[in-house]
Amino acid sequence: MNGIVNRRLAIVVVALFLSGCATATSTVGGLSYRGRAVTRTDGGLRVSVAVLSAEESVAVYGAPLAKKGIQPVWIEISNDGTLSYFLMSPGLDPNFFPASEASEAFTKGESSSGSDGLDTRFRDLAFRNPILPGQTRSGFVLTHLNEGAKLVQLDLVASAHATTFSILMVVPGFHADYHVSEVFRREIYPANEIVDYNDDDAFRVALEALPCCATNADGSKNGDPLNLVVVGGLDDAFPALVRRGWSPTEQKWSGAIMRMVTSALSGDRYVNAPVSDLYLYGRAQDLALQKARDNIHQRNHLRLWLSPIRYRSKPVWVGQISRDIGTRLTFHSPTFTTHKIDPDVDEARRALTEDMAYSQNLTRIGLVNGVGAARQDAPNENLTTDPYYTDGYRQVLVFDRRPTSLSEIEFFRWEVRAKPSGNLPAGAEQ
Amino acid sequence: MSAPPTPCGALRNAAGSVVLLLVFAGCATWTAPTNIDDAPLRERAVTAARGDVQVSAAVLGSEDSKRMLGADIIKANVQPLWIEVQNRTSQPLWLLHSGTDPDYFSPLEVAWSMHTLLGGRTNASIDDHLSKLGFRNPIPAGETRAGMLFTNPDRDPKLVNIDLFGSRTLIPFSLFVRVPDDVPNPRFTLTLFNYPETEIVDCHDLASLRAALERLPCCATDSHSRTGADPLNVVVVGSLGDIGAALVRRSYRRNLRDGDLEQSVFGRKPDVVLRKEAQGGAPATSIRGWLAPIRFNGDLVYVAQVGRPVGGRFAQGGTTGDVLHENVDEARNFLIQDMMYSGGLDKLGFVNGVGPAPEARPRTTLNDALYHTDGLRAVMFFATRPLSFTNVEILDWVPYLDQRESASSAENGDADK
Repeated sequence: MNGIVNRRLAIVVVALFLSGCATATSTVGGLSYRGRAVTRTDGGLRVSVAVLSAEESVAVYGAPLAKKGIQPVWIEISNDGTLSYFLMSPGLDPNFFPASEASEAFTKGESSSGSDGLDTRFRDLAFRNPILPGQTRSGFVLTHLNEGAKLVQLDLVASAHATTFSILMVVPGFHADYHVSEVFRREIYPANEIVDYNDDDAFRVALEALPCCATNADGSKNGDPLNLVVVGGLDDAFPALVRRGWSPTEQKWSGAIMRMVTSALSGDRYVNAPVSDLYLYGRAQDLALQKARDNIHQRNHLRLWLSPIRYRSKPVWVGQISRDIGTRLTFHSPTFTTHKIDPDVDEARRALTEDMAYSQNLTRIGLVNGVGAARQDAPNENLTTDPYYTDGYRQVLVFDRRPTSLSEIEFFRWEVRAKPSGNLPAGAEQ
Repeated sequence: MSAPPTPCGALRNAAGSVVLLLVFAGCATWTAPTNIDDAPLRERAVTAARGDVQVSAAVLGSEDSKRMLGADIIKANVQPLWIEVQNRTSQPLWLLHSGTDPDYFSPLEVAWSMHTLLGGRTNASIDDHLSKLGFRNPIPAGETRAGMLFTNPDRDPKLVNIDLFGSRTLIPFSLFVRVPDDVPNPRFTLTLFNYPETEIVDCHDLASLRAALERLPCCATDSHSRTGADPLNVVVVGSLGDIGAALVRRSYRRNLRDGDLEQSVFGRKPDVVLRKEAQGGAPATSIRGWLAPIRFNGDLVYVAQVGRPVGGRFAQGGTTGDVLHENVDEARNFLIQDMMYSGGLDKLGFVNGVGPAPEARPRTTLNDALYHTDGLRAVMFFATRPLSFTNVEILDWVPYLDQRESASSAENGDADK
């Protein structure tokens, strides 16, 4: 039953182990990043991936890319199949940097002759399409900088065919104290605690029995509502999030908080704002993700915890999503600044669902009870005393590795009982 | 200066930032709306029907915004859009906000921008008012729903893409909606050019289409037909709605600038210009399109220029203008990749027609900018049927190869071991 999950976890462990090594022995120059590359194969395709540290970027590109918020991902693809493949850069990061554009970050004001060297260098390092049968290609895709962890999504497209790879990696050299949840290292639940549901109704009952909210560390106070259930793992759910611009975020106090404050002042877009910890199953979130928008004042956050539930053998993550509409000062969070959330938390939940519809991996959606309704005129409060109100539903999103077009997404047959409504239903909890 | 900031300093900075925010947030003053009647919007709304579904859309002007929302939020660069959906199907439908604008604003996000420091009760009224006006999903079977979407500003007319989503169903609409208060300038209006039927060549098979596309001119000229301008390196085939929907879903917006009027094909300025603006409004890839006197099984054929201005997202305000970056193939190839995620790309192929201009012998375009290219024209076919990137058929036309590589592979072993 857990074969698929175990395989995924094993791959991640290798990734973490290898990147851990590299952090310890991080030497500038040479091709040390290739040594820690994570390799995966599928059919006739073999891919290897490594994310460069800030020092490695300087060594390879001759320019401090990290200072401009750019992070090179080294990719090598061997094609032993019969089709020609194209690697899609927007799959790694919808706002990735073309090589020529990134080089211009360092050639401002120079005459064209002065910038030629750097421009050529960036171009020669870039990954080049296509990957013909029998060929091996390698090069870099320039993405937005992630500190801590990075989800690398490789979408390889051929005529009427595609092969995709998803790899979660720890970025070397940024924060040695980056907290990686145990769930990415090993199976944390004993086999007898794991329940795999094949029946949709039984699955719904299990989801409705989950606690309403995340809590503080000792579980004495309820925080944000657990309004999200993500079914799928590295191969199916996470790629969908990456393609739509979601990236892992720092989870701990660090120098990032200072830069966040500076960012709030300047209105810059700051991709790696930290989130504060929330608790479920006696532990802080296993993964925190965010989708940066124009600047620090506007970003969406989601936190996920791996549950002991499986749905048709796929891992089930329980989560919380909210839309930040501003940064404000608070004394309720150890980081002093926190994000003012949109009190209509259902809006963020709906927005994620709609956004995921365009991700090509969403296959089924549904709503279950379990959060508990909170009316607009009698809102609940999260741990940082932001008020919120909700219709009390929990959004269930099932992902699959096989890409699904917009017109093939299916609804669970639960809506008869849990009928969503635009206005607050009086009996939402029944 | 280099000393690590203390928590106290952090607090001061944070407090400073909060004050600043409040100062900025206070710009749009809110007065309780007295009249939220949507009749004037309904009157000028554009309506379309498909099967058992009917949609209407209208863009709010400054006056509508003050009257209905209580402040002119257009000044804050938010373009409110009124949408009504009549769902006569037997299942609930969802209006996918991201399909209309991937960077839309939530109602309370807009409300928050109007909040004042000590306006507790007023702030609550603003929140309440805007959430009530926001479009709420789903639209139950047999019902009609109307509400606002808070989008990023578009010029007149706005291409409004409405993706209605149900179980194993997508019903897409594309409407051209008037934008009130848009500076009326005939030079910037959208010209939906029409050819006399006698001038149009209708191709019924891919081979004849390919031949017709390869005969199109390599490049635009300046408006006086004196010098060569940017290369025509892309062709899109499909209905206007399907092409528009795919582009809108990937954040392309109509955005014509003065410099675009200099580019001329078939003796006229571009019929449509789109730009994908980076965060913060930095210049990014532009697409200038002209309707060609060619049809493919009744579908429209646009020939277009795809390029990126020098500087891109790293350009400092106003320093570079709209000078074409020399690597036009890169911009073309990344547009194709973007469209792979649009859910609308059906087929892709490459044809000749631009003519190669190697880096050593670049071609000149306007503003004396230089560009180099492999000489290929990317042809993208769009369909209404939603597609994932596994469905995209790559046509067996000119095989796409990195031309630059054949020249440089000898000296660069890394990319092609």
